[in-house]
Amino acid sequence: MNGSLRQAAVATAVLLAVVGCALCLGTPYVPPTALGDDGIAGVIVRELRMPRLVLALVAGACLGAAGLVLQEALRNPLAVPEMLGVSGGAALGVAAPLVLALSVPLAVQPLLAVGGAAAGGLLTLLAAGFGRSPSAVLLTGAAVAAALQAALLVLMVLADQLDLQIVYRYLLGSLSARTWDDVTGLWPWLVVAVPALVLCAPVLGVLRLGDDDARALGVRVRHARIAALAVSVVLIAPVVAVCGPVAWVGFLAPHLARRLRPGSDAVGWLPWSAVWGALVVACADQPARLALAPVETPVGAWTALLGVPAGVVLLKAGSRR
Amino acid sequence: MTVVHIRRAVLLAVLVLAAAVAGLVAGRAVPPAEVWEVLRGGGDPTARHVVVNLRLPRTLVALVAGASLGLAGTVLQSALRNPLAGPEVTGVTPGAVLGAVAATGLGLAGWESPAAVVTAACLGGFAGAGLLWLLAGREKGDPAQTAVHGVLVSAVLSGLTAMVLLVAPGELGSVVQWLVGSTEGRVWEHWHLLWPWAVLWSAAAGVLAAPLTLLRCGDDQAAAAGLDTGRARAAALVCAVALTAGAVSAVGALGFVGLLVPHLAFALFGADLRAALPGAALLGAVVVGGADAAAQWLSRVAARALEMERLSIPVGALTTCVGAALLLIVARRRREE
Repeated sequence: MNGSLRQAAVATAVLLAVVGCALCLGTPYVPPTALGDDGIAGVIVRELRMPRLVLALVAGACLGAAGLVLQEALRNPLAVPEMLGVSGGAALGVAAPLVLALSVPLAVQPLLAVGGAAAGGLLTLLAAGFGRSPSAVLLTGAAVAAALQAALLVLMVLADQLDLQIVYRYLLGSLSARTWDDVTGLWPWLVVAVPALVLCAPVLGVLRLGDDDARALGVRVRHARIAALAVSVVLIAPVVAVCGPVAWVGFLAPHLARRLRPGSDAVGWLPWSAVWGALVVACADQPARLALAPVETPVGAWTALLGVPAGVVLLKAGSRR
Repeated sequence: MTVVHIRRAVLLAVLVLAAAVAGLVAGRAVPPAEVWEVLRGGGDPTARHVVVNLRLPRTLVALVAGASLGLAGTVLQSALRNPLAGPEVTGVTPGAVLGAVAATGLGLAGWESPAAVVTAACLGGFAGAGLLWLLAGREKGDPAQTAVHGVLVSAVLSGLTAMVLLVAPGELGSVVQWLVGSTEGRVWEHWHLLWPWAVLWSAAAGVLAAPLTLLRCGDDQAAAAGLDTGRARAAALVCAVALTAGAVSAVGALGFVGLLVPHLAFALFGADLRAALPGAALLGAVVVGGADAAAQWLSRVAARALEMERLSIPVGALTTCVGAALLLIVARRRREE
């Protein structure tokens, strides 16, 4: 219990720091005492910075939880959404109508993303024989992801110069100019996803034992894997529809959760994975907003830059033990 | 070189010629009959210009870039004893892309000075390979681990490339083609830069063929045969990076050519690199030249179907999709064994 207390303390401290940064820093600087004011500063805080922060936290939590589900279900520390074609499929579903100038109502966008993500993930699973061998999944996923990436680049070649900027930003994952509407669009999906997560968490612990043991315990391995994929698709796709495939959060957050509570199991890691995912995205969004001001950089570029080396360090430390 | 290998090499050479011809007649503006006229020394000035100054260099660049990538992949896979090593998954290609994009974006080199771009791409390629070297650390022997680390390195480098592109957004349009790999708008200038480079390093690869064959047998055997393994491997890596950088600076990041061509070459020409290296070069040329012709033809069909005049499918999109499909098949087959 000591470990989780310490973890909770660290997470709270980081959260407070990030909230402070997100609400106060930027142009204009709003001192913490003036956050509740009316006037222009108050509007900026309430209508621009607050929704952005909330969206970062929610998106990060979704990606972190989905990453853990995939990693546990496929018994592979590198089974992350972007390596399985899930993120790429979702992005393709959203970007294609944008570039081909088909008008799509906002409500349908998440559905397109879900369709794309499910298609990408299923293709990988089918081609890799439902994850019997962890490394085959990874190779297959890399191939599927590369093909999807090529399709996205073809779309970018087709796009006009003006669209190109928007599409490129989106593909990297960006939280700029997101409002409360985007945040409220996520709730219905979460209402579906969270109970599903709670239901599938115990099965993950059994899948970890290996296919034969899981079967002996009465788990239908294939069904369980498809269910895990479905849950992660429902978690990832709406987030991708709103702010693009923010890279490598689903890789970093579960590893952080594991590192900080080595003795726990999938059920214990899941909430923490969500917490760390939320914090990672919120933290990465600060340099994205401020580093090269007045130009905003996409948050996805920062998560890739910071997340991958950190993840590698964690992986190495994990394999040494 | 057995008789079978020579026969296969001749067949491949014929295929290279076929790919070149297909590339020459695949365009939109000049029909095949007129191309023939021009090649025989006739034809009207416009057609002449299109064929001689646009199609010919484009086709040649595609062929040589393909050959370079095939060679680079074969050298890499032999030196690292890793069937999954290719320029794309060892950080070399993304590194080269980053170098070239950074040099362009920061105004150190323009597209009008291709020499500077080649230099930058080379530096980037070495940086990418070095990064992987550092990351892989003591786990260099394990192919799957190396591939995994390569993917991670590629992700970091792509993130950096994205950053550079966002700082210099004006370059985005011209660079996108190049991120996926494209032979659009290649002219004699690119060719003049590419071929000496490719010839030089291909010769180097040829010199390395015998030591690399030894390295494929394993370090202990190679050392027992009197080979300085460390030095041979370092030389091979330099050669592979240089070949990749040249190809990338000419046609961009063509996916999967350097990863899959070596597998084909080893299947057709056996494990002796003195036969497999030339085979890989020929195969790479066939693959990229053929893909270039096919991409142009597909673009025409798709443009007619979608009624979009400016649609052009970059050759890299084609190689990546076909390569991904092949990789899926290979992964499946390996699992069933």
